[in-house]
Amino acid sequence: MPDILEQLATLREHETRVAMATLIAARGGSPRPLGAKLFVGEGGRLLGSVSIGGCVDARVVEHGERLLKENRAERVTVIVDDAEAVELGLACGAEFDLLIEPISLNGTDSAIEAYRSAINISRSGREAFVVTRIPAAGPPARMVTSEPFTATGPDVFVERIAAAETLLLVGASDVGAALARLARGLGMRVVVVDGRERYATRDRFATADEILVGMPSELARPYFKAGAYVVLAAHEYKYDLPILREVLRAPVRYVGMLAGRKRAEAVRALLREEGLSEEDLGRLHAPIGIDIGGREPEEVALSIAAQLIAVREGKPIARRG
Amino acid sequence: MTLPYGPVVLEHFRRPRNQRVLDKPTASHEAFNPLCGDRVRIELEMEGATIRAAAFTANACAICTASASLLTTRVTGLSTDDAARISDAEVIHALETTVPQAREACAVLPLRALRAALRGEGA
Repeated sequence: MPDILEQLATLREHETRVAMATLIAARGGSPRPLGAKLFVGEGGRLLGSVSIGGCVDARVVEHGERLLKENRAERVTVIVDDAEAVELGLACGAEFDLLIEPISLNGTDSAIEAYRSAINISRSGREAFVVTRIPAAGPPARMVTSEPFTATGPDVFVERIAAAETLLLVGASDVGAALARLARGLGMRVVVVDGRERYATRDRFATADEILVGMPSELARPYFKAGAYVVLAAHEYKYDLPILREVLRAPVRYVGMLAGRKRAEAVRALLREEGLSEEDLGRLHAPIGIDIGGREPEEVALSIAAQLIAVREGKPIARRG
Repeated sequence: MTLPYGPVVLEHFRRPRNQRVLDKPTASHEAFNPLCGDRVRIELEMEGATIRAAAFTANACAICTASASLLTTRVTGLSTDDAARISDAEVIHALETTVPQAREACAVLPLRALRAALRGEGA
């Protein structure tokens, strides 16, 4: 899920007011999940989408511009008839309900504060719920909770913000930097660990949530938790071995190591000698990533990110090692 | 995994001695090479002027790890004065291999950490 706060920060560079359109219901199928957002700037800028069809988003843009001028919120229904549905690639006609509301990017806005609060909860590792009450007239009201919340009627829309998954990135390499950028875009909380302060810098990892410099195996240990994704991107056995000795026995969701086949097998052989079981070693993805053939850091990072998504979604993946 | 540095380095890299964390170290120091990324922390437990126990933690290359293993073994039971007098050449010699000049910094990194710990430079 795109980070709404980052989207708003991007818009704030050029806009002072935007209309925020949120997909709150869909009948007949929707290519985007409920909660998807499209922002329409007063100055004309667009960000996000509530559908994949240009025609649906275009209508929402028109409504957004109108409601910005009228400075009020409205629940809007966009109906796609069959002819349009075919053009859009939808199997049948569909209806979309959207909440469109003006948002001020200067100063405090209650909607922004609600999402900021929810995202902070998510980034702390818990799921959050943004509960929006939509009155017949007047602005919507929001509350945020970390307790599961079920909608109580058609005038209540509940968005679940999943707990952010943690990507522990050991090794502030170029591949690591490219992967950190991609992972942030996937909604992951990115923690970078390295022993070299000249590599693990804010300049190189602008979007990382945490950058830790010190003894990598010790800094990494607190993140060996259920559900974590661990990528060893240093291509340095001095970091790989101490971490693998522990993390392959930890309940993390994914462990991958940047390595060619020969190096990966040498590392496995050494760990096997040290007593790690075949089950432990079988959890290691090395060589890492899905084989798409690229060699540049961005290409390798993309192959790793694809593998992380496949693991997250429970898709069978072609293991390379 | 084969290493080109001979049996002593290989033995102490694969089965390092004293690689652990002391419960209550009386002195410690972590040294690092900012470019290659080697990190080694030496911990000492002292009784008066005698080193009763020495241990290390390392995320480091084979030469550095082996050197830390050998060094902590050597200084256990030594007086702090004797430990402070250990030279770079002695540490390199203990590895019983030819250490390329470019890798000497790896070999003496644990000694740098030891000296700083003995001077009371924590971190």
